[in-house]
Amino acid sequence: MKSGSNLEKVILSGQPAVTAELGPPMSADPHEVIKKANQLKGFCDAANITDCQTAVVRISSIAAAALALREGLEPVMQMTCRDRNRIAIQADLLGAAALGLKNCLCLAGDHQVFSSAGRLKGHPGAKNVYDVDTCQLVGILKKMRDEGLQEGGDKLEVAPKFFIGASWTPMGDPIDFRPMNLMKKVNAGADFIQTQGIYDIELFRAQMEKIRNMGLHERTAILGGIIVPRSAMMLKYMDSSVAGVTVPKPLIDRLNKAKEAAGDDKKKARELQEAEGLKITIELIHQVLETPGVKGVHIQAIEWESAIEGIVKAAGLYPRPTFTD
Amino acid sequence: MSGASTIEKKGSHRERAAALKETRPYSPCRAACPVNTDVQAYVGFIAQGRYNEAFEVIHSVNPIASVCSMICHHPCERACRRCGVDEPLAVRPLKRFALEQSTEYRRNKRHLIEKTKGKSVAVIGSGPSGLTSANDLADLGYQVTIYERHPVLGGMLAAAIPPYRLPREALKEDIDDVVSKGIEVRTGVEIGKDISLDEITSKHDAVLIAIGLSLSRSLNIPGVEGPGVLLAIPFLEDVAFDRKPDLGKKVLVIGGGNVAMDVARSARRLGVKEVEMVCLEGADEMPAWKWEVEEAVEEGITISHRWGPKAVRREDGRVKGLEVVKVLSVFDAERRFSPTFDNANTKLIEADTIIITIGQMSNISFLKDSKVKVDERGRVQWDPKTQMSSAPGVFVSGEVVTGPGSAIAAAASGHRSAMAIHLYLQGEQIEGSLPTYEKEKIADMPATVAEKIAREPRMKILHLEPEKRCNTFEAFEYGYDEEAALKEAGRCRGCGGGAVVDKNKCMACLTCQRICPYGAPVVTAWSEIRPEYCQACGLCAPECPGGAISMVSYDVREFRETLPAIVGSVDPNRKEPVIVAFLCTHHLGTAGFNLPDHVRKVPVHCTSRIDTNDLLKAFECGADGVAVVRCPGSSCKYKGIENRVAARVGQAKKLIGMLGMEAGRIELLTTDAESGSPYTAVCAGFADRIKQLGLRSK
Amino acid sequence: MIVGSQKSIDELWEMTKDFKKVLVFGCNTCVAICHAGGEKEAETIATLLRMRAAQEGKAMEVDFTSVMRHCEPEYFEPVLEDLKKYDLILSTACGVGVNFLSDRTGNIPVYPGINTSFYGAVEAPGVFVELCAGCGNCILHLTGGICPIARCSKTLMNGPCGGTNKGKCEISKDVDCAWYLIVERMKKLGTLEKLAEVQPPRNWSTSRDGGPRRVSLEHIRAFEEQEAGKSDPAGGKK
Repeated sequence: MKSGSNLEKVILSGQPAVTAELGPPMSADPHEVIKKANQLKGFCDAANITDCQTAVVRISSIAAAALALREGLEPVMQMTCRDRNRIAIQADLLGAAALGLKNCLCLAGDHQVFSSAGRLKGHPGAKNVYDVDTCQLVGILKKMRDEGLQEGGDKLEVAPKFFIGASWTPMGDPIDFRPMNLMKKVNAGADFIQTQGIYDIELFRAQMEKIRNMGLHERTAILGGIIVPRSAMMLKYMDSSVAGVTVPKPLIDRLNKAKEAAGDDKKKARELQEAEGLKITIELIHQVLETPGVKGVHIQAIEWESAIEGIVKAAGLYPRPTFTD
Repeated sequence: MSGASTIEKKGSHRERAAALKETRPYSPCRAACPVNTDVQAYVGFIAQGRYNEAFEVIHSVNPIASVCSMICHHPCERACRRCGVDEPLAVRPLKRFALEQSTEYRRNKRHLIEKTKGKSVAVIGSGPSGLTSANDLADLGYQVTIYERHPVLGGMLAAAIPPYRLPREALKEDIDDVVSKGIEVRTGVEIGKDISLDEITSKHDAVLIAIGLSLSRSLNIPGVEGPGVLLAIPFLEDVAFDRKPDLGKKVLVIGGGNVAMDVARSARRLGVKEVEMVCLEGADEMPAWKWEVEEAVEEGITISHRWGPKAVRREDGRVKGLEVVKVLSVFDAERRFSPTFDNANTKLIEADTIIITIGQMSNISFLKDSKVKVDERGRVQWDPKTQMSSAPGVFVSGEVVTGPGSAIAAAASGHRSAMAIHLYLQGEQIEGSLPTYEKEKIADMPATVAEKIAREPRMKILHLEPEKRCNTFEAFEYGYDEEAALKEAGRCRGCGGGAVVDKNKCMACLTCQRICPYGAPVVTAWSEIRPEYCQACGLCAPECPGGAISMVSYDVREFRETLPAIVGSVDPNRKEPVIVAFLCTHHLGTAGFNLPDHVRKVPVHCTSRIDTNDLLKAFECGADGVAVVRCPGSSCKYKGIENRVAARVGQAKKLIGMLGMEAGRIELLTTDAESGSPYTAVCAGFADRIKQLGLRSK
Repeated sequence: MIVGSQKSIDELWEMTKDFKKVLVFGCNTCVAICHAGGEKEAETIATLLRMRAAQEGKAMEVDFTSVMRHCEPEYFEPVLEDLKKYDLILSTACGVGVNFLSDRTGNIPVYPGINTSFYGAVEAPGVFVELCAGCGNCILHLTGGICPIARCSKTLMNGPCGGTNKGKCEISKDVDCAWYLIVERMKKLGTLEKLAEVQPPRNWSTSRDGGPRRVSLEHIRAFEEQEAGKSDPAGGKK
């Protein structure tokens, strides 16, 4: 055992792992985290606590993860390279470990321009850091854990023991490079991988075949990303604008059909689309888990954490395994 | 180091860039002119309707400008680079137009010049050369006395060139200019007869002999002596002074040169119906200018080519005709004049009067026993490096020493002599300090450039119909009207006015190389703008980020400096908006730029040279609106400028926007080429729009 | 070369409005090439400032001139005394020139007339692109000649992030993804395998992070000093 986290245990057990996602609030109010943690608790093996996703200022990943942990939900803290140099990163990792956090997902982080892409003012004028990149960050975590050394080489009396994760966009540009990209993260020390949302299962399977040929699926646990679709509009947007995501037309058509069935009734249209979206989610979970080399799913119900319970149950992934130390 | 001496902006850009501009080779027209008249510069002024300035350019090097405007053999036209495109620019007629337009200005300028040097110079002879020297010496502050044997000044211009070619009013303008400077004129005084050279020499500090070639050569053939056989110069003098000789019914002119043409055509105008010319040369060998021959033929004059005079046949002492012998060849293998004849082939050409026009020589009999040495062939000895004769203080100039040539070449010689006399009188070295007119010229236009130039026929010069002009000594050539002149001036490619690069400012950025439509700039360590490629469109200069490019003519920065004066004071209580209109002067085919006062016009040689900074400057000077008015693309003299000009206007809109001014205060407009006054409507429309926007308070 | 871009007239006015005699001082090298601060642009700024002063009813004298470079003393020393006749020098050189001049004009302030943007190339007339960040430790041989430090929005060293979309960067459809370009380029060069190696965290001390940098060439400097009679290079270390 590298970290002794619940997620690591599930993966080691050979059962399909389930992770979910919890977005902290733009406020100092802990209750939002507590509420969401309770919605997710018991329906996933661990939940990602996002680190100022889309560069919007929110309760920090570590603090929110500590709150979640208090509620009994195992968190996967996130660490982006955007906001901290290697000094801050390592300091935070030490602190996080001291607070009892055991999973850490390493990310480049969304560029600060995203913070003002929607309705928010954000901080598009912020200076980004990128002292190290994702691969390097993974390497730092591994070095701290396995060698007991800081990046600079100084010794750590007590090393932080993290189950190290990284993201992977299997279908992103330049697609030929993506397997090598994964390999670098694995070589750097990634224990588990959460992928970008998968809708085009055929393309995903083609990429996974390359991964299996490289033997990477044996060296890391790949959790396929599932982003729960809520509307045709959302799918169309994801298809056209979200990097590394392509949505096959039949899926969009299914949601469109659901929307049309409601006529002019907007409320009903939303309900019908959400129902169809959940059906699609279940199908995708099964398709991803059936793909050789996949060790689990990472389900993102964005700002819809309450849906996770139903999804996990409907997918036949409930109850989640438990372990006694 | 660009700023080394210019931080304190002393003088105008014209002065600062003058040395730089001098580094550019001359346009071929300018280089071909014996006095290097800046043809391209004055033609450019004509194109802009700035006739007085055109006059200044012409007159600065040529005191016999009006004369030249009528009779110059215009080597400039033969050198014109438009020859490689279509037809040469009509330079001489344009000069005539400019001089006619600026007559009042010119007359008002005349004034006495102070005699500051305290020395006096005698000028013997008042032809092109003598007049030019007198003019220059007067300008330098010398007391000048002209001695002229004829009753009027002008030498051969007044006494031999027939008035149908050189109207005496034109000659008078030139002479009045010179005389008004305060020159003592002694006409009707023949040296050696009325006064001796020694006397003149003793009265003056220096003497110039500029007596030209006033004696006609005669023929040594039987029968030549006696009535009915005339010599050219005395005949032309009779014509000039209105003494009508009796010529009978038929006149035969011997000779094929330009003077022969004057003689024949004058005889025609004296009422002789039948005038024939006989010359040794074939039609393509004649020394007379081609156009002179054509005009003579139009007037009904016949020419017998390749016959040589053998004897004058007389009956009862009266001339019966000329016996001529067939010419076999005129030139030998080395192209030297050496006629051969077929003595078996002769004929008689009947005539009542024979006029011999086979060349002139100078009358230097008065030099006998003087210190001025004459060589064994009867020519005055002189040193071309100092313009001085063998006698110290006695100088020579013009055809008396150079031999027959053009009026303007004689004037060039006059400039040199004047300078020589000045240096002599100031005790300075002459050799090496005289003006030379051999200048490097721009090479022929590369084919790649010539093909980019639109064909535009030369504006026709109209003549009085041959039937009418044969009856009068009035000028037979019509001058251009303003429309024709502006159009013709617009044909000038402005070869000499192109771009020059200040190497101290050029950082080799390639901007000019990228935008030149003709591929003129080549950038290495700095930009070299190849003059033979440059069409002087001016597109590059405003674009140069280092301000390194100057245009030899119509420099952008020069006219920016003139904007405050053009805009003048802006009345805070004005009713009409002050509009600064930059007007393309090309291909408008119209007379004048008649616009209301509140439209301050800035004629430009193509809008391509307008800089964003010019537009800003106009606003700084107080304009309410600035219009850039270009000619329609179809008639644009240059290619590929539209987008550049539009981009600069766009940039200026943006910049005035930064000052809170409306973008609509600048517009790029196109003239209505079909209209007689193509600017009027577009400017009026623009002024209305500005009025809507309101007048600027600050 | 160094690429600059113009400041708004409002900003320049705020900077200059309290001065009576202002010189807009152009720099005729890099910033002239990018049409930001050469003599032509200096004239534009001078004109705009005069017009603005007139609008505001303030008496302000604004001249312009230029020298070839503000970053080498020999270029501006000949006009230094003239510069000191002004209350303010608004230098349209890059920041290097402004700093450099500022140290040498005594009590005359030197303000920046333009923004210094980046080190760039002329992609097309009027289009300038950033291609180098001056990090002090070049790795272009590892990345197919395309710099991830200057051209990747996140200065990533080990491949693209997940934001690459149709070859463009996540920050804008108008920005190329440097890593997309690197991968395509290295595929073409047949060196894609080189990218498999994980690049360790960089030593940024050669970059701005190491503090203001200085390159001092012993062989040139010592010679110059010897010429000036200051030291004896043959004598070795000081």
